[in-house]
Amino acid sequence: MSTVRLTQAPRSARQLPDRASLRSINLSGLTSSPSSRVVVATITLGAVAIAIFQLLLHIATSSSVYELSHLQTEKRELTTTTQILGQQVDSLASQQNLANAAEKLGMISNANPVFLRLEDQKVFGKPKAALTADGRVSRNLVPNSAMIRTSVIADPTSTLAADATNTVATGTPQAAGFVAVKANVANTPSAVSSVVSTSGGIPASPTH
Amino acid sequence: MTYLTPGDPKRRLRKIQISVVAIAVLFGARLIDLQIIEADAINAKSYSNRAVSRVLPSLRGDITDGANKVLAHTVFKYDVNAAPDIVAPFDRTVNGQKVLISVEQAATELAALFGQTQPEVLAKLIGTGKYSQVAKAVDASVYRQIKKLDIPWLFYDPRPARIYPNGAVAGGILGFLDPDGLPLEGIEVAQNACLAGKDGEETFEKGVDGIKIPSSAITTKAAVPGKKIKLTINADLQYFAQQILTANVAKLRADWGTAVVIEVKTGKILVAADAPSYDPNEPSKSSVENRGSRVFRTSFEPGSTMKMVTAATAIDAGKVTPESHFIAPFGMTIPHSNGYRVTDSHVHGNEKLTVAGVLRDSSNTGAMQIGNLVPWQTRYTYMQRFGVGSMPGSGFPGESAGLLNTKTTWGNDVVKRYVSTFGQGVSVTPLQSAMMYQAVANKGVRLQPQLIEGCIDSSGNLTKVTKDKAPVRVVTEASAKSTLDILEKVVEEGGIGKHAAVPGYRVGGKTGTAQIIDPNTGRYGNLHAISFIGLAPVDDPQFVVAVTAYKSRTVSNSLGATPIFKAIMSQVLRTYRVPPSTTKSANIKTEWK
Repeated sequence: MSTVRLTQAPRSARQLPDRASLRSINLSGLTSSPSSRVVVATITLGAVAIAIFQLLLHIATSSSVYELSHLQTEKRELTTTTQILGQQVDSLASQQNLANAAEKLGMISNANPVFLRLEDQKVFGKPKAALTADGRVSRNLVPNSAMIRTSVIADPTSTLAADATNTVATGTPQAAGFVAVKANVANTPSAVSSVVSTSGGIPASPTH
Repeated sequence: MTYLTPGDPKRRLRKIQISVVAIAVLFGARLIDLQIIEADAINAKSYSNRAVSRVLPSLRGDITDGANKVLAHTVFKYDVNAAPDIVAPFDRTVNGQKVLISVEQAATELAALFGQTQPEVLAKLIGTGKYSQVAKAVDASVYRQIKKLDIPWLFYDPRPARIYPNGAVAGGILGFLDPDGLPLEGIEVAQNACLAGKDGEETFEKGVDGIKIPSSAITTKAAVPGKKIKLTINADLQYFAQQILTANVAKLRADWGTAVVIEVKTGKILVAADAPSYDPNEPSKSSVENRGSRVFRTSFEPGSTMKMVTAATAIDAGKVTPESHFIAPFGMTIPHSNGYRVTDSHVHGNEKLTVAGVLRDSSNTGAMQIGNLVPWQTRYTYMQRFGVGSMPGSGFPGESAGLLNTKTTWGNDVVKRYVSTFGQGVSVTPLQSAMMYQAVANKGVRLQPQLIEGCIDSSGNLTKVTKDKAPVRVVTEASAKSTLDILEKVVEEGGIGKHAAVPGYRVGGKTGTAQIIDPNTGRYGNLHAISFIGLAPVDDPQFVVAVTAYKSRTVSNSLGATPIFKAIMSQVLRTYRVPPSTTKSANIKTEWK
């Protein structure tokens, strides 16, 4: 059973309005023209395109941020690697390491320098073997706690043997023990940028 | 079908409208409250939850030698921290398989890298705290090895750390920083304004994964790295000098030693070596008095090296020539001094010496007579011109001016006036001594000693950081030349001086065996400050080398200093490819009959 709320008392049949008179109306003004449909379609498609483009841009930006983060991490790692290698090079190039390596190779600082003047081939000083020179200091006496890596110097004779073997094998005179030392020398800035040899004179520093 | 009683739809509609409006007003009011009144606070709270702010540490500038060899630079070290409340066994992939690593095993692995024991490390990992420092300032290589262990509950905080790659080479000059990065000594302190950078700051918004939120506001103040300080030092020569000095100071059983090398024509300090050497990487391993540089700070009575000043003064004042005659007795009593007697170092009769001979034999009595020919006021002025009692202006912090008593004191003290002729009653630093000889080597013009080339910015522009001092004309060029001729005779003919000769080069110099006052007695003790200051080549002086060994115990005269001088001067001449001398020394008599 349903209930219907009446808002007004039912009208009698006589009170019903007369039959509505029908008339035709012109609908041409109410329907859209082809040009306006194009406008609507353009706006709609444009909005969708912008939304999609924005979405794609956002995705691209997000992925770039992750890529950027990854690259920054990689950069940090490479910076760390550079620092580690730099410290190793510094250690190997330090005067203390070179002095120790030279001593292990049997090199001795000669306290009796002898000078040769090229223009008249005159020798100044009396050549003496370094072994018998007074005041020679070969052992390193200057501490360096930053020296985290030292040159691996094998017994000089075995190093020379290895050098010879390596020369045969590779065609270049390199031995494992020498590699680090040679690299150090190459990487160490020279105290004197260049040496100018003037004809008849001995090689001279450009500053003097 | 039943019909409800019809109501008043208009009233009902009004009620609904009022209700809707009321709700809308409530929501609107709340919206205004949230969006306008509380907006800032809410935004701030929200931002603080997302925003991460961190300091971007700036890197301190390098210190280099004159050839751009790095003597000090900054690297990153890492503090290794853990959060004990999340420390637990974890999985590690080994050869493609997951292996469970216990906390004890991880502690063992870490202990090996830190140089600690496993219980020590374990004690730092166990607990309920949020923070525990497991290791402080580990090297990048150790940090890399720890990261390879893939321990999920370890965290790393990078911190800038100062490294001196050559250790004690020029350590006394460079200085050092405290653990917090504050400069405490040497060039690090003096040139902090150039070396120190400015920390930056970065603020960004992060997601739950810690990654920056795209398009989030980033406020970044870029860190500005420090600039570079370039010294005049030659690091290789400095190392050589420190080696020689350290070996000989040990041999002499001296308290300490110094060696200075000056480039004559520029005043550049190429070497300022101290023994004992001091490694700024580990300042705590050296005593406080060894952490600076005595070359610049420690003044003492120079002794006989000052006789060069006496001779140059008398020559320049026109009172003597290098060959003027004097009779030098073993001892002399200073007039009007209540019997203050001065003797030479060895017993001898009256010796007939020229000015050159007086310096050759380092006769105190002869030097007093030479000095006494010049009014003391004039000698005082010459001493000032030679730099005694004034700051050299090298740029090293805390450098000493030495001691030159006031003119009034000299006027009232006849002994001071006399003994100053052979280097007593005045005090100078090793650097001041070297610069006195630089003056005569440089045709009579004393230059400002230079330790710092300048401050170099990232574009390579060099800015001077020391205040320029005008060169001082000390003596005439001719007087300087005569003085050099005398100094050469010391090396050619002197009993001790000849040990300083470098084959092939004309070398001039002067010995010094200075007595040292014993603070307990107030009188001169038995130990001496032995020294030798020389220059080469005499025909065109390029370098001055000044060597001192303080309180030498095995050799009591400058025979202990000449081998150091010779070794360093030889190395300097070799390093700078100075051609051997082609001329002969001046024909000057040292004795007369």
